[in-house]
Amino acid sequence: MNPRELIVRRAAQELSDGEIVNLGFGMPTQTSNYLPKGINLTFHSENGALGFGAKPRASQAIADLTNAGSEPITMLPGASIFDLCTSFAMMRKGFIDTTILGALQADQEGNMSNWALKRNGYWWPGIGGAMDLGYGARKVVVCMMHTDKHGESKVKKRCTLPLTAKGNVKVIITDKAVFKVGTGHLILEEYAPGVELEWILANTEAEIVVSNDFHKMELDLTI
Amino acid sequence: MSIKPHSSLERNMTKRTKVMSMNEAMQQAGLGDGSRILLSGFVGAGEPTCCIEWMVEKRVQGLTVICNTPGMNGFGKAMLFKNNCVKELISSHVGTTAESTEEYINGRLYIEQFYPMGTWAEKVRAGAVGLGGVLVPVGVGILDEEGLFPEVEKHGKKKEVVRVNGMDCIVEPALTAPIAMVHAWRADEIGNLQYRGTSRNNNHDMAMAGTFTIAEVSEIVPVGTIPPENVGTPAPFVDAIVQGLSIEEHDEIYRRHWLKIGKLEQED
Repeated sequence: MNPRELIVRRAAQELSDGEIVNLGFGMPTQTSNYLPKGINLTFHSENGALGFGAKPRASQAIADLTNAGSEPITMLPGASIFDLCTSFAMMRKGFIDTTILGALQADQEGNMSNWALKRNGYWWPGIGGAMDLGYGARKVVVCMMHTDKHGESKVKKRCTLPLTAKGNVKVIITDKAVFKVGTGHLILEEYAPGVELEWILANTEAEIVVSNDFHKMELDLTI
Repeated sequence: MSIKPHSSLERNMTKRTKVMSMNEAMQQAGLGDGSRILLSGFVGAGEPTCCIEWMVEKRVQGLTVICNTPGMNGFGKAMLFKNNCVKELISSHVGTTAESTEEYINGRLYIEQFYPMGTWAEKVRAGAVGLGGVLVPVGVGILDEEGLFPEVEKHGKKKEVVRVNGMDCIVEPALTAPIAMVHAWRADEIGNLQYRGTSRNNNHDMAMAGTFTIAEVSEIVPVGTIPPENVGTPAPFVDAIVQGLSIEEHDEIYRRHWLKIGKLEQED
């Protein structure tokens, strides 16, 4: 299985029935393709919509029904549209139950970085809604590859890049493992199929405590 | 820079119509090289398409643009960056388009700092409603870290944190501009605006935060057509109404773009 698909399949399991969720750009938006069976969720879109559904047929798409990535959407019964400030009110005040965000780095203190890399000496690409989500969502789930293109651990003792979320990350899901954030360390809960504990310990910079319930990721491949 | 709006008499509230040509609207707004503008839209949705095309066509340069992102790749607002119209961006993000990224990382587009999207929206809202600024808890301990935004420190500014209501908050001044360009579904002739769908985003705050506001609409309707409770931006905040794309044309350009980039599937 493609590592990104693995991450996304596992990340989708963090969503619980009845939640209001916001899925960040990139990998997180793919989690909606692998939702656990039988659960109902309400999706929040940063640009000002709650309760939106799948993309429409081309002939039904209109310029004025879009999500945060300017992609066409449909609205489900009970949906609401509101302005940008109200959208961010929902984030700041804890109305988003779970957010899944991609990251450049996450660390053992529950911090994560995803808005700034240096390109030619300039910070790029910019913050967007991730910092508001990282601040106010009740459960922040990070999903990312375990190592970067140089083989360095992205699961760090302390993020070296500017932070997006400060101390609010609860779960870190990589293509190799699942961690819960403890107090000043990470708790290793799960391993990806075919991955050895020794590999995880050798390739994770963060301080780890192995859970008593350390087990293999259970992925429902019928989804 | 604080600019008091003209009184309603000076703004010709008694004029029967604010509808005018794009050229006339831009001239009355005083749009030119070096202008500071609020430009509406959320990643390419709800943009004043024709206003943008006008600025690109006239090769306006040196603009300071306040917008929440630089738009959608290869579309609309991105063309301002592709055509070197923008000198400075006041925004939450620069990476939504290859065009703005290219300008920025090659040193042609100046960005003093980035704001969390919610903070940026509130700065515009503060400017819209006549406040000096807002107090925002998001980013405390991150954005006020020394050395993060050298341009802020270079200008002798500092991210100030105060404790109010038991919250540590960053003090964020309001954002305003002499000119705002927004998009709405329709306007009546005296300037009441109604929005359609998710393209509302923060168009109405942008409209209010501008001293001279140009509203580009798909439909211009007689006074009395828009039910009062459906007015998204009341008339006094709008100075010029220009005809934009029709609803059908507007939907069509997006549909075509989405099909091209694979966000929609071609139907048989």
